[in-house]
Amino acid sequence: MNPTGDLSRLWQTALIEIETAVSQANFSTWFKETSILKENDGTIYLGVPNSFTQEWLRKKFHNAILRILRQMNGNVRALEYIIVKEDGKVVGMKKQAVPPPTMAMPLQDFYINKDDNLNPRYTFDTFVVGPFNELAHAASLTVIKAPGQAYNPLFLYGDTGRGKTHLMQAVGNQIKKDFPNKKVFYMTSERFGSELLAALQEGKAQQFKDKYRKYDVLIMDDVQFFSGKEKFQEEFFHLFNMYKDTGRQLVFSSDKHPNIITGLEDRLRGRFNAGMVLDIPEPDQESRMVIVKAKCGMHNISLPAEAIDLIASSIKDNIREIEGVVNIIACQIQLKNRDLSINEIRNILKNNTKPKKLLSVKEVVKAVSDFYNIEEDMIYNKTRRKEVVRPRQVVMYILREDFNVSFPSIGDKLGGRDHTTVIHSYNKMREDLKTDPILSQEIGQLRSML
Amino acid sequence: MKAEVRLEKLKGAVALTERAAGKHSTLPVLSCILIDAKKNSLTLRATNLDIGIEVDIPSKSDGEASFAVPAHTLSSFLSQAGDKDQIATLESSNGNLSISLSRSRGVLKTMPFEDFPAIPTVAEGKSYSIAPEVFIRGLKAVWYSASVSSVKPELSSIYVYRDADEIVFAATDSFRLAEKRLPLPKNTPFDDVLIPFKNSVDIARALETVSGEVSVKAAKNLISFESEGTKITSRVIDGVFPDYKQIIPKGYVTEAIVLKQDLMNALKVSSVFSDAFNQVKMTIDPEKKSFEVMTKNSDIGENLTGVDASLSGEAIEVNFNCKYITDCFQSIDADSLSLQLNGKNRPLVIRPVSGSGDRMFMYIVMPMNR
Repeated sequence: MNPTGDLSRLWQTALIEIETAVSQANFSTWFKETSILKENDGTIYLGVPNSFTQEWLRKKFHNAILRILRQMNGNVRALEYIIVKEDGKVVGMKKQAVPPPTMAMPLQDFYINKDDNLNPRYTFDTFVVGPFNELAHAASLTVIKAPGQAYNPLFLYGDTGRGKTHLMQAVGNQIKKDFPNKKVFYMTSERFGSELLAALQEGKAQQFKDKYRKYDVLIMDDVQFFSGKEKFQEEFFHLFNMYKDTGRQLVFSSDKHPNIITGLEDRLRGRFNAGMVLDIPEPDQESRMVIVKAKCGMHNISLPAEAIDLIASSIKDNIREIEGVVNIIACQIQLKNRDLSINEIRNILKNNTKPKKLLSVKEVVKAVSDFYNIEEDMIYNKTRRKEVVRPRQVVMYILREDFNVSFPSIGDKLGGRDHTTVIHSYNKMREDLKTDPILSQEIGQLRSML
Repeated sequence: MKAEVRLEKLKGAVALTERAAGKHSTLPVLSCILIDAKKNSLTLRATNLDIGIEVDIPSKSDGEASFAVPAHTLSSFLSQAGDKDQIATLESSNGNLSISLSRSRGVLKTMPFEDFPAIPTVAEGKSYSIAPEVFIRGLKAVWYSASVSSVKPELSSIYVYRDADEIVFAATDSFRLAEKRLPLPKNTPFDDVLIPFKNSVDIARALETVSGEVSVKAAKNLISFESEGTKITSRVIDGVFPDYKQIIPKGYVTEAIVLKQDLMNALKVSSVFSDAFNQVKMTIDPEKKSFEVMTKNSDIGENLTGVDASLSGEAIEVNFNCKYITDCFQSIDADSLSLQLNGKNRPLVIRPVSGSGDRMFMYIVMPMNR
């Protein structure tokens, strides 16, 4: 096979020959927007802009082109024409200084291909890679190289707004591009469930099964929805095995590690774990700054470094929220037709980020003791039993870390402990968190419950 | 070669094919109409490599010949013919085309017809028959909403798709959206297609000249309409149209039912005073039973016009581009229409109010944000 560079050189020289053989008008009409797309076993595939050009080249110039190509490369045996998909052209459009005053519909969110449910907007090009998600990104790249062979299933988990859907859809879109014969399908597990339910009610279970058996790559979002739904899990289990046995790729996402999704059958849990399970953790500060910059770039706005820093440090765990705030800033810049001051941006952040819920210490204690299944009173007691010490430390840690309660007042509220005890517990938790993944999962879950 | 043809038929065929002839093409022969004379028929053909139109008309000829003559010259010459002219006689004269009418005779310079490209045919794909009115009405009801910019090919197209037993035409430039539904005969093997809106105008005009059913065949890159010697072939866009259903508001907060004529008149008056952005402010207050449209232009003056309406819901004040609203009136046959609003910065939905056919047309306009 010829590398693309050779093909384009081949066509450039061929065009010079062709140009001398046909009239200028014919040349610029029929050959201007052509290119060699690929070569396969002696067949040259020529990209043409439309059916009209395809028809006329085939009818009028086919032999001439083939002869010229053969003169230059003896291996060329045949010539085929492929219509190249039109990308939007920007024809002498001036950049509008004033944005159109009528609001635009958010159509870009709704480009969903009916055959595979994928939104073409989600690609690897628009995916921001940082230290926090580079592992997931690398695994996805491995999957698209040979779908169904490495990492099957690929299981991504992480909190909402971390880019799981983007990454999964990018996998689907890329496989579609690289392997045109593979049928890709994206869906949420919720839709799988409701379709299954409808199929069962209408007595069309077989059609349902057939539908899902015909894809080569199945991408399912939010599988935690299966939690506690046995019938769905049962059906899904068989589908899973069929995909796995026939070497077809599966990609899943969830908000939690499969091991801690409650109400999930063990056999399914085991199968999720058999592939590659990867966490997309909270993005680090630098990654968040890159994300803010990338989103600004999409809106054609630029913010001062100070503002980018502010946004990145105010919104820690949710990329979608960052996107939302940048949208609002872009909209305001458009409206006011000037840049925003740092104070204005601070205000936007204040008004548009999720407000920290105000919880009483008692509520935190209740949630934690419920979670660890101990009596609430034990937390306030002096007991040093192991099963109580840990939850008590968790309470202290959460109060300090998430609610900014001072050490003395934490000690005071939890049964009159000294503030140094609280500091010790807090520091211990911080150290433990670095090495103990189970603890960090527990705290993550607790936070989502609070 | 000498061919006789009814002038009226020839004029019709020229008028139709002229629409497809290229205007600023790099290939001069594309500005021509190719005339193929055969024993019993004359075929006229033109294309700009985006759309191609081919018309067969009956004629009497003593031989076969082809001419490529500039479309503009041909149609201008024929339009000068008097009422008495019934028959046109076409002859080749030293490689040029001579056309004789009762009193006048024109000799038109030709171009080498060998350079005139063939119009492609739709090879694969299902074909079906349908009344031409379906496409004429559908395309005309929405085409003004398509985007004139070529940045997004799918938005400068009309999306034609099937929804259960209806054929749906939709177009949007992202500031407003028009959707027209028409019944689709059962078992029509219909495939979704994106027709460039520029071509849709020509397709509709050409379909207006045919009677009886038209046979439609669509593939990934091409669609053709064929009926009684007329064949239209258009490029189609290989792309995805946004799933616009998610934009349609589910309910409404404020509704106004008005006579179409009343709203039209009010907007016509207010447009006299509108600014460069055609901004019109709508103020609806159901409690005070008032619906007013207001425009203001610092150079001209201002205007406030009331509209009789039956109102319900909450009071609202919202700005629109007046032109976007008036555009849709051409697609609404009913006397009354309903305006449904969902608050500031939310789209306005316009539907006809006539009883049964209310859901067959829908129009969405986005508000102005200042």
